[in-house]
Amino acid sequence: MAVQQRDWNAMPDEEFRRFFRNWLIENCPQELLFMRKQRPHYEEVKVFYHNLARDGFLAPLWPQEYGGMALNPTKHMIYVEEWARLGCPRIPDHGIGLTGPLLLHYGTEEQKQYFLPKIISGEHVWCQGYSEPGSGSDLASMRTSAVRDGDDYVINGQKIWTTLAHCANWILLLVRTDKEAKKPQQGISVLLVPLELPGVTVRPIPNLRQEADFCEVFFDNVRVPVSALVGEENQGWTLAKAVLGHERIFLGAPTRPEYALSRLQVLAEARGAFNDPAFVSRFAKLRLDVYDLGSAFERFAKVLRDGGELGPDVSVLKLFNTELYQRITEEMLAIVGEEARFNDDLEAGDTMIDAMNLYLDSRAPAIFGGSNEIQRNIMAKAVLRLPG
Amino acid sequence: MPQMIFDDTDGTLGLLRDSVATFATRFPGAQRLRQRRAAGTDLDREVWAGMAEAGWLGLTIPEELGGAGLGAREQSVLSEALGRELISEPLAFLAVFSGALLSEAEATVERERLINGLIDGSLIVSPAVQAANGSIAPIEASASGDGIKLSGEAHYVNAAASADEFLVLAAINDEQALVSVPAASAEISQRPTLDGSQLGKVSFSGVSVGADRVLAKGAAVDAAIEKAVASTRLALAAEMAGIASRELEITVEYTSQRVQFGKPIASFQVLQHKMVDMWADAEFACAAVVNACERLEEDDPKAATLAILAAKARAGDASVTVGRRAIHLHGAMGFTDECDIGHFMKRAVALNSALGQPEALRLEFVALERAA
Ligand SMILES: Cc1cc2nc3c(=O)[nH]c(=O)nc-3n(C[C@H](O)[C@H](O)[C@H](O)COP(=O)(O)OP(=O)(O)OC[C@H]3O[C@@H](n4cnc5c(N)ncnc54)[C@H](O)[C@@H]3O)c2cc1C
Repeated sequence: MAVQQRDWNAMPDEEFRRFFRNWLIENCPQELLFMRKQRPHYEEVKVFYHNLARDGFLAPLWPQEYGGMALNPTKHMIYVEEWARLGCPRIPDHGIGLTGPLLLHYGTEEQKQYFLPKIISGEHVWCQGYSEPGSGSDLASMRTSAVRDGDDYVINGQKIWTTLAHCANWILLLVRTDKEAKKPQQGISVLLVPLELPGVTVRPIPNLRQEADFCEVFFDNVRVPVSALVGEENQGWTLAKAVLGHERIFLGAPTRPEYALSRLQVLAEARGAFNDPAFVSRFAKLRLDVYDLGSAFERFAKVLRDGGELGPDVSVLKLFNTELYQRITEEMLAIVGEEARFNDDLEAGDTMIDAMNLYLDSRAPAIFGGSNEIQRNIMAKAVLRLPG
Repeated sequence: MPQMIFDDTDGTLGLLRDSVATFATRFPGAQRLRQRRAAGTDLDREVWAGMAEAGWLGLTIPEELGGAGLGAREQSVLSEALGRELISEPLAFLAVFSGALLSEAEATVERERLINGLIDGSLIVSPAVQAANGSIAPIEASASGDGIKLSGEAHYVNAAASADEFLVLAAINDEQALVSVPAASAEISQRPTLDGSQLGKVSFSGVSVGADRVLAKGAAVDAAIEKAVASTRLALAAEMAGIASRELEITVEYTSQRVQFGKPIASFQVLQHKMVDMWADAEFACAAVVNACERLEEDDPKAATLAILAAKARAGDASVTVGRRAIHLHGAMGFTDECDIGHFMKRAVALNSALGQPEALRLEFVALERAA
């Protein structure tokens, strides 16, 4: 592998931006740009994934010794921005964004040596097994259990809403290892589990857009060796929370609303909506909401750049972002009149706009990553310190 | 829970509601919608036959023409009930719109043939009267022998592939005519709709129809169209009021049994407030439809038109926003295709976009109200 070992952080920001943008233009296949699918499967974006891996661009935050770029927050922001601006597809990134950082912080040397290269090579595709039918917002109540039996854990239970489990081969699993713990948070552990084991069943669940992005995953006496444990037993909750770290800011990055707004603009131009002062007024509101989200994002990004830690207040970005995304897609339907009855894409000059796809998709981000109500609850307590 | 409230002295409205409830046990709305979507068809023939048998297709067609001769209240109660059950065959277009056009047409043999077929379900008669921008617009035509020759397109045609006959607006020089055109003479292309059906674009290239197929001419055409649009908008409004009400009910049921943090999530105050707002939206939608029905019974056409515009806008907004909130309150479950709530929201968006979105209707309301 001709991995580029360079000190990216030493490069001036604008030079890095130009460099990475050109690299993406050359290495992301044209047909993958602005994909209709929000969560393409590994097989669909394999070429791009391997180009990223080949040149050492797959894992922006990992240390270079594990094939990462070790970008500082500013450079990472540029990396994310250019990716979104060019319309490069999302790759199955649970290995890069979740399992990788977890192992880097809490994994044994052996786990790091075994797993990290396989993430980089694409051999292991990971998914995130946290939510259960009875445990969504109240994740700590989860019941999927792992019981010690000699040198093994025996896993029983069910996960649900597991994004891309049907095209992953490993799952990062939260399990209950102590049913007697004083607080439910205290009896949870993290296990690394291959999905190909006997007793594991994966069933895709078609979503509102009729795409099978998430799945149910069943565990029936599934055996894994105790070496599958990450960190210490019963410390899984703390681990899982810590890993989120500064990645939380990206739940609020303006990229999704920016993209939706750009689609709205193309659609509106094609339909002559800019001749309608009422539309222009509504568009202006949305435009400035996107613009101001950028300013608010910068306010938090600066904290990171200055080496600080993000507080619970960063969730304000996620709220504004997800609700703005919804308002923009609602406006798309409002300007197409009778055509909002169709399920397929809409013509706008010589391009097609996936207005309905975006409208339906925009329901999801307000639910996942901690629903907007849960975020408001947290901020009411942790930011405003309201009583109760 | 929200419902349209009318006096029901002879019990007709109650009977209609009961008959829809019974119908829905035979043909569960969401299930049939999914089946139709999977089949890629634009009409569920079995459901349609059932509707004909129930006597719903000719509900508001005058008795002397073979219909049940009932009024706007009965139609609204029926449509509301269909909305609640997510029974999604295009009754508003194939029965209400076409029925109104034909009822207003001249008493010819052709009119009788079409209306009889419409009522007993043996003929699918679909209006093909909209332009690409959704407005009601005639197709270019010229005189041909004693008949006329059509060349042009109609858009947003319901059940285009299943239809036997299209009702088409034709413009010959400056005069309009309403004609019936055999579906077989048109070229049809379809696109999938949000509510698991298909809408057609219907093209006629030099199709000739005889004089016997001319159903109305001149000013009578405008009157018929106006009547058809108004009744259909009202039926859609009622259907959406029913959808909004049911969306709320489903959400109240779901959040009352879904437990997180040791209690039903409906016990959290934020959710309670949201559901109260959803309830208010549904109540207002129902009240707006009732108001429109009452205005229609008075002798003031302008007041009736205003009330219908208001009702369609109000019920449309309500059914769509209540649906969106309902999905959110279901969490990830609401984001699945398996859960019915998403289908209610999609159906609401589709109906809300038919024959005028709320903003356009509100502008039409204000323009009409201000016109001297
Ligand atoms: C597209 C998508 C992808 C996902 N991918 C994954 C994945 O890969 N892995 C994974 O583990 N999970 C995944 N999830 C699951 C996600 O984390 C959960 O949906 C989320 O935690 C909410 O849980 P729930 O769906 O059970 O909703 P519930 O917790 O049942 O909530 C239902 C409603 O009640 C509200 N509510 C709940 N509690 C409170 C409260 N205390 N106060 C006020 N309101 C409250 C919520 O805001 C919501 O509106 C995904 C979800 C979606 C939609």
